[in-house]
Amino acid sequence: MRIAWRGAELKLLLPILLLVPFGFVVTNIALSGALETGDLTMAVGYVGLIALAHVVLVASGHRGDQLVLPAVGVMGGIGIIMLNRLPQDLAGTRAFGLELGMASTQLLWFAVGIVAMLAIAVGLRDDGILRHYKYSWAAVGIALLAATMLFGYEVNGARLWIDLGAISIQPGELLKIVLVIFIAGYLAETRTLLTSASMRIGFLSVPPLPYFLPMLALFGVVMLIVVRLNDLGTALLFFGIFLTMLFVATGRRSYVLIGLILFVAGFYVAYQLFGHVHARVDVWIDPFADPLGAGFQPVRALYALGRGGLFGEGLGQGLVTLGGSLTIPFVHTDFIFTAIAEELGLLGAFALLGFAAVLVFRGLRIAALARDDFGALLAVGLTASLGLQTLIIIGGNTKLIPLTGITLPFVSYGGSSVVASFIMIGLLLAISHRSQSAEETSGS
Amino acid sequence: MTADIVRVLLLLAQLGFVALLYIVLMRFAGSLLRDLRSAEEAQITSRSGIGRLSVLESPADEPPNGSTIALGPINSIGRNVNNTIFVEDDFVSANHAMLTFRGRSWFVEDQGSTNGTYVNGHRIERAVALSFGDELTVGRVRMRLDR
Amino acid sequence: MIATNIRRLGLYLMLAFAVVSASGVWWQVIEADSLATRTDNPEVIAARRSLLRGTIFDASGQVLASSEVIDGLSRRSYFDPAFTHVLGYSSLRFGTTGLERAFEDILVGQTDPNPIRDLVSDVLDRQPQPRDLTLTIDKRLQDFAAAQLGSDAGAVVAIDPRTGAVLALVSAPTFDATPISGDPDGAQGAMDALRNDPAEPLLSRARQGLYVPGSILKVFTAAAALDAGVTTPDTTFENQPREEREGFVVDGFAIREHDLGGIEPALWPLSPALQVSSNIYFAHVGLELGQETFLEYARRFGFCAPMRIGPPDRGLSVGASFVTEEVDGDCGPFRDNVELASASFGQGRTAVTPVQMAMLAAAIAGDGVAPNPYVVKDVRAHAADGSLSHEVLETLGSGGGTRVVGSAAAAATRQAMVDAVNGELGRLYAGQADVTLYGIGDARSAGKTGTAELGGEQAPHSWFIGFAPAEDEATPRIAIAVLLERGGSGSAGAAPIAGRVMAEWLRLSEGS
Repeated sequence: MRIAWRGAELKLLLPILLLVPFGFVVTNIALSGALETGDLTMAVGYVGLIALAHVVLVASGHRGDQLVLPAVGVMGGIGIIMLNRLPQDLAGTRAFGLELGMASTQLLWFAVGIVAMLAIAVGLRDDGILRHYKYSWAAVGIALLAATMLFGYEVNGARLWIDLGAISIQPGELLKIVLVIFIAGYLAETRTLLTSASMRIGFLSVPPLPYFLPMLALFGVVMLIVVRLNDLGTALLFFGIFLTMLFVATGRRSYVLIGLILFVAGFYVAYQLFGHVHARVDVWIDPFADPLGAGFQPVRALYALGRGGLFGEGLGQGLVTLGGSLTIPFVHTDFIFTAIAEELGLLGAFALLGFAAVLVFRGLRIAALARDDFGALLAVGLTASLGLQTLIIIGGNTKLIPLTGITLPFVSYGGSSVVASFIMIGLLLAISHRSQSAEETSGS
Repeated sequence: MTADIVRVLLLLAQLGFVALLYIVLMRFAGSLLRDLRSAEEAQITSRSGIGRLSVLESPADEPPNGSTIALGPINSIGRNVNNTIFVEDDFVSANHAMLTFRGRSWFVEDQGSTNGTYVNGHRIERAVALSFGDELTVGRVRMRLDR
Repeated sequence: MIATNIRRLGLYLMLAFAVVSASGVWWQVIEADSLATRTDNPEVIAARRSLLRGTIFDASGQVLASSEVIDGLSRRSYFDPAFTHVLGYSSLRFGTTGLERAFEDILVGQTDPNPIRDLVSDVLDRQPQPRDLTLTIDKRLQDFAAAQLGSDAGAVVAIDPRTGAVLALVSAPTFDATPISGDPDGAQGAMDALRNDPAEPLLSRARQGLYVPGSILKVFTAAAALDAGVTTPDTTFENQPREEREGFVVDGFAIREHDLGGIEPALWPLSPALQVSSNIYFAHVGLELGQETFLEYARRFGFCAPMRIGPPDRGLSVGASFVTEEVDGDCGPFRDNVELASASFGQGRTAVTPVQMAMLAAAIAGDGVAPNPYVVKDVRAHAADGSLSHEVLETLGSGGGTRVVGSAAAAATRQAMVDAVNGELGRLYAGQADVTLYGIGDARSAGKTGTAELGGEQAPHSWFIGFAPAEDEATPRIAIAVLLERGGSGSAGAAPIAGRVMAEWLRLSEGS
């Protein structure tokens, strides 16, 4: 391994080293009313982790994309500043003899995630293990789902968690990655068949069923179970990822159109059949109809957005609690974007969206430069996952679409989400590294 | 009085924080633009490259193991030295297969070889479209189609 | 190829980012002001948690609600649960309802429609000046009416037909609003208990409850037909005596009479028909009126749309009442003449609020003019010691009203209602509403009972509407509607309550 200087990455990371401690100081002044910096251990810990990731990538001679890590670093930084500002007893760990508040726990998960990311980015030199064992990955996915069905417990009516004693994990987050790997493998293999041959039903051309059926079947099973687990956000996300990858693999808008029609039809059926879906849509259409009952959470979130306005109320100065209870329930997971938009204003919210857009842009660039179809589709799937997840939860916060309980990648509190998101970044970096290396060997 | 000073400083710090976010974002934008420009240049210089074959396994080392072969639109593969891609292997026929770029895709067609042509381990009967990353096997020589 | 598709995907995703950004602009810039002015906004509540609210007095100066600031926190106390459904509550956790909501800005003394902006300017210069309110309701009558209902679910609404002043507005069961206005955690517990109470104490039955009216709606049918000129007080329907026994066939559907209790059917004109509450007679009247005209008069009387007790921008909301099936908050068309005939005697798809029924009684009592109802008499300066200030800042209640039927039609209907309580036949039904039974020797009452059949095994709703004094030459001082949910017949349940409440008011208002 020889060292590869990553100048662009370093240049973008330097201001982050300043940004996160600065955010902590501002928060502390606002909360205490005194000109003191407060405890900066956590901020230093965070920038240390990001710096460490950079050093490891440099030392291992990694040639992967240089904008991805900084973009993630800013998003995670805004997240950790916000989580540090919220009441620390909202979540936390009491395990392994440790007693950690919410932000410290999140930092711990960042450490785990970054290690996982580096292991994959540096260690995954051959994607054969991903590509060739796609049915094994599908089996792993099904097993994850089955485990959730059997051993999962409910939080807020959705059965998503598995208790492992000291910690709880959300298998859906890992399932997402496994599913993307499977679909990428399958589409890379059958892509040309799906594109060249096709049947026509009416004015729509549909893929030849024998090639398409296995994936459709697996996908149907997954969707069915996710809906059974009452996790609409994940269902929407999976469907979006699937359609995106199908579109990129085949270039057929008609497939996407069929998919969307199916989704709308399925959603309408669910709306008619399931009370909880019906209730959620009603709350979405008019949360103010029952501002103290079903609409409590979204209405409070909209108020917070309104309070934020263009410039925000300032870090540490938002109305997070009122009379001892949170103004927005689940502000640290579902509504972290709203909290940021309240304190940093529309300008801050736009900046956050901007960094997410940069991440998506770079992910797609990695896909376009990938050495083979599998790598390209995998990168598209991972990028779509991160991008759509961001869009779905922020859109839910602003009442653009019904609210769902998925996380904002790198920003929301939650170990499973953070680790899974970093694994995805690790995979993107690995794909990017392979294509960059190939470029150089053939170019010279 | 001091409370007022703190408040003013705090306001400045708040605005400073958001300003810093935008400075970082601008730097990102700068990097993105630079990459786009260099990508365009790279595209102009390598417009002719429609694909290449990476040699994964070649018992006689002709083509050499680990080498890459730049491809033109029409490539013939075989043991005859007049082929575009000359393959030294006893299991390869003189005129073994054709690898052609038509429209937007790569196709491979067997030329009536004795031992057949394989794509991803499956023997092909007719012209077959290839994806980047697919493995092509003639005789004992394994090659991968890359971008 | 894939690269092209990825580029297209990038375009679509950036488009999605733009749309999501636009939704942020919507809430954070465009809608920010209107969000900031909503009273259930927690910041509005937080901003007001330390502000003193004005005191609310009854018509005679008794304190109904008052606030005090303890440790920088404003605490609201309510002193009479009988008023809860009028005053509403002001809660840190649940926002404001009722008059507390309608008069929010006046009670806390703010004038800027944006309370936050207003607060900023106010906090810098001076504390806002709270204002007090005086109601038109006399605590003694309100408590008396509430005691009459006791623990039964129901409502009593009494209005002065001359002015529109609300004299009583009782919904039962009720609840104590003080815990809900207290500390947020306790408030949550109190609210949860109320929400889970099967008796539904949170429902303001008088204003928001919708009930089948039954025979009390015949008063409307009679007045409308007389005013439209399709009937006179002497109109009879020749087949009516036979139809009382055999049924009145409308479009192939036989409408049947209720149990007349042994009274022999005869060729009745308006007065005896109303006295015995003949469904057949009023079905004929309704058919004479026709579907269009029936609906037109219903709208004139205030049906088919929500109404307010008080000025349009600052009133207690009252749900819409319906004479046909509801369509988008309005009365839909009649499906057929069977429905029209049924609606004419208060069945079919009719559904009304007790307030609307009191307004019907008030319109007849008021010579055909429906008064503009109001419940807040005036706004006064706030006295620090909690006493009633003499400094009246604003007087509400414009008087006046809307003419809904002509004098002649109102007078004829009024006479039939007097007979319905005092007449030979009527006394058997509505006699218990006679105020002379309750110690008022020199006055008569007018009215009509209603027994709203709900179908199945359910006990009917018990209704009475009426007014007093109603003898010739007298000007009625109180119009009333009494509802007892599943209270059985109107004559046994609602009529005596109405009689007692009217008698009590005639006593209390003696000399006014």
